[in-house]
Amino acid sequence: MTVHTRPEKPSAEAAVQAFLGQIDASIASYLETCVHCGECAEACHFYEVTKDPRYTPTWKLQPMVRAYKRHLAPFSGLKRALGLAPSEVTLDELEEWSELVYDACTMCARCTVVCPMGIDIATAIRRMREGMVAAGVAPEGLHEASDRALNTGSPLGLTLRVLQKQIADQEKETGIPVPVDVKGADYLVILSAMELIGFPEVIGALSRIFKQANVSWTFSSAAFEATNVGVQIGSKEIATSLLGRVVDAAEALEVKYLISPECGHAYGALKWEGPNMMGRNYEFEVIHILELLEELRLEGRLRIGGKDSRRLAFHDPCQIVRRGGVVAEPRNLMAAVAANQVVTAHAGINNYCCGGGGGVSSNHRAEELRFKAFAVKKRQLEEAGGVDALVTACANCRNVLEEAIDEYEMDLPVLSLTELLAEYLEPEGGAG
Amino acid sequence: MTFLEWTEGPLWYGASAIFVVGAAWRLFGILRLGRRVELSRPRASAASGALAAIVRHALPRGEYVERTWYHVVAGYLFHLGLFALLLFAAPHVAFIHDRLLGVGWTPLPRWAFIVVAELAFAGLILLWVRRICDPVMRQISDRDDHLGTWLTFIAMLTGCLALQETSPVLRGIHMLCVEVWMVYFPFSRLMHAFTWVLSRGFMGANYGRRGVSP
Amino acid sequence: MTPAMRILSILFVLGALLWALVPADALAQGAPGFQAGAPPGNTLGATSDAEFWRQVRQGRLGMVSIPDPYAAVLVRSEGDNWRALRNGPISYYGGWLLIVALLSILGFFLWRGRIKIEGGRSGREIPRFTLTERLIHWYVACVFILLAISGMVLLFGKYVLMPVVGKAAFGHIANACLQGHNLFGPMFIFGIVAMFLVYVRDNTLNGVDWNWIKRGGVLAKGHVSSEKNNFGEKVWFWMAVGGGLVLSTTGLAMEFPWIPTIIQVQWANLLHATAAIGLVAVALGHIYIGTLGMEGALEGMTRGTVDENWAMEHHDLWAKQVMDDLNVSDGRRLPPEPAAGGPGGGSKDGAPQGAPAE
Repeated sequence: MTVHTRPEKPSAEAAVQAFLGQIDASIASYLETCVHCGECAEACHFYEVTKDPRYTPTWKLQPMVRAYKRHLAPFSGLKRALGLAPSEVTLDELEEWSELVYDACTMCARCTVVCPMGIDIATAIRRMREGMVAAGVAPEGLHEASDRALNTGSPLGLTLRVLQKQIADQEKETGIPVPVDVKGADYLVILSAMELIGFPEVIGALSRIFKQANVSWTFSSAAFEATNVGVQIGSKEIATSLLGRVVDAAEALEVKYLISPECGHAYGALKWEGPNMMGRNYEFEVIHILELLEELRLEGRLRIGGKDSRRLAFHDPCQIVRRGGVVAEPRNLMAAVAANQVVTAHAGINNYCCGGGGGVSSNHRAEELRFKAFAVKKRQLEEAGGVDALVTACANCRNVLEEAIDEYEMDLPVLSLTELLAEYLEPEGGAG
Repeated sequence: MTFLEWTEGPLWYGASAIFVVGAAWRLFGILRLGRRVELSRPRASAASGALAAIVRHALPRGEYVERTWYHVVAGYLFHLGLFALLLFAAPHVAFIHDRLLGVGWTPLPRWAFIVVAELAFAGLILLWVRRICDPVMRQISDRDDHLGTWLTFIAMLTGCLALQETSPVLRGIHMLCVEVWMVYFPFSRLMHAFTWVLSRGFMGANYGRRGVSP
Repeated sequence: MTPAMRILSILFVLGALLWALVPADALAQGAPGFQAGAPPGNTLGATSDAEFWRQVRQGRLGMVSIPDPYAAVLVRSEGDNWRALRNGPISYYGGWLLIVALLSILGFFLWRGRIKIEGGRSGREIPRFTLTERLIHWYVACVFILLAISGMVLLFGKYVLMPVVGKAAFGHIANACLQGHNLFGPMFIFGIVAMFLVYVRDNTLNGVDWNWIKRGGVLAKGHVSSEKNNFGEKVWFWMAVGGGLVLSTTGLAMEFPWIPTIIQVQWANLLHATAAIGLVAVALGHIYIGTLGMEGALEGMTRGTVDENWAMEHHDLWAKQVMDDLNVSDGRRLPPEPAAGGPGGGSKDGAPQGAPAE
């Protein structure tokens, strides 16, 4: 099956049609209800660091609002007849908005939280991106990542050979064999591209945790990539194609659970958007790695043998916490492993984004803005009195934070919560 | 027919009809678009999430108030003031009793009416002046925002100008301004007075089933 | 005339007045004693009238059978004096003052035209008023305009509006304006207090202002050096604060007339009208120069930023300071130093960093 990633030629009309196709009663109520109070700007890290009013979250939706009010909204016919409807969206405008929708929005949904009308701007932006792809104004960086993902299964072009190499290294490191293609295992593990290439230690960490907890798990050689560029660029077609591979592999191995790894958008794509895109629910359940770890800890199967004494702060990944609903688990796990946890202001469902979610980190042209946005995180950490290390549960956050920390010439390690837990596992054979 | 009889008679009925039918049509027009069936397995109840959002988003968010206090203060002043005036101004209570419901309740004493009116006006003016001098608000505001604010202001102002309740002409002018406001209402952003239930509810349901209440 | 007769006469007049107070149109039917041209009351002969009226005008206390002793004073002359002052010189000269102010503005426009930015727009903007300053300014402006319009209708409407719209319509208008004026008054007090607190630091008078006066201010050829606010603007600030204080105090006295004495309320009214006319006259000039009269001025109060060339021409001392702070030298902006704050740094409220030119 060929997946169309780019339209043959850029077209505003295609965008308008796609916008309208995306608007159901919930999106319509969002577009109708905005009273232009501007509070969303105050929640947006991109606005906060630039003071550019164009980065006001509700303004980013403006072309979709206009298309809706011109063609679909109640009284739109009457208003068109009277010349009171908004003008038709043009290609130039869409190209201008490409920056606002892709570079200056990580779909982190802080604006959703602050909105007095409860407008879910993040979800609306996700829908709007479908129209941007249809119009042909999505950024090249995301298109390239999509192409690589469709061709190789991974947005970074990582093949099975890379996985095999990393598994071999980790097996050597831990001395624990890593199961691959074990039919009937309870849990299927997939990883984000960033983990696979940048943080392969997570494989070793999982081996050790699962060995202690006696979990039956496996990798699949057919699908090992969790990252879904489709939901980032905003193409249901791409997203469904990528998701289908994972679902097929999981169902082929007849696992009970698919573990959504430390990756933000992957969780939303697998757990919340996925069944709707596939048009059916899966034969397995999706569980986030943090949910599983907390479950194992509560069951006493995951035993922590010591605590890290550094000042550690947890960076809540937006898509897992605020938009994913995995809120209590990371807090409990952190409390179990960190002796000197620093709780930053806004931690939890109000946390500031790393600045590079929602495909921003794959979008080269957004790099400068993304580094600027980190100033907000930096301030948040400084206000908490500084920390020795950041802990997070999203490989993309981790990579974005590390790059920004380099850019700002700071000295601040960023850790994975899973890896941190694996480091402090109770030694084998009890307290020996 | 005197001016007041016109504004309390035919014009009032006409404006009320447009208001009720228009607003209902607008709500129906939104709801008719329907919702996709959610296939993912919920972690928690969507309905309680919707209810939570409807309540929580009426309250200021502590974590953000440092940056949004201006809107919080001005917004509350205006909206609470407006509702107090709408429901508890003595002539309104009488009007509701005589013309709408047949029941009345204790109105605000005159001094309280004046205090509440001043707070409501201060709130509305503060909200509007921000529209003209904050770069964000200038960027996102459109004709409808200003027109809606002005019509609301004029409706409130004419009401207060008739405060002595001795002039049928002033009462008639207030009625007329309110009627213009009511006719404008269903076609404008003033509809947020009803649609907030939908946006908060849909958002709350969406997040509620994920087990989070932002 | 015997004292007994005087008292009798006064009582009679008082009785007639009390009766007249009841329905106004009853006067038309009139008591026989109120025939045109005839002396009031049943006085015997005309010789006693001068003494009689003198006593009445001096506020002689008579006798009434109701508890309020003031009811026994037939004519309160101080009230009459207040009315004569209000409807006389204050309305008359006040009205002319406003007309003169408008004519001066017209004259100034014909003389100077719209004052352009001499160097043209540089395309670079610097922050002038913070959001807080702008919000307070416009809040006070809105309330001031509402009060000015309703107040002027109350003071001048009788002469200007009533002949045009007729007595009945003017009655409704004046009624409405009184209610509106009383309602918005207290809102102004909060505004003026906030305005004082926020703006006072940029409006203290100093040597720069003396130089500005010596060089002729706005009437001078070319531009006179000035800080963020020139002498004229500072005077306007202090007028607004001083006038605002007078208006607030006297306004409160009239909103709660049972607290001060009647004389104090009368004086409050006269002071209120005088201060208001003065402020309205200056405000007309302020509005003119802030909008039509000068290119590039209004945006400082709307968007919060002004063109660098405008700033250098009108407020050079301040502009240099701001541009230094923004790393601007010789009119050319240097890239921000990548120092401590890292990319982005901390841009202050209203700073034009990344702000698009509208």
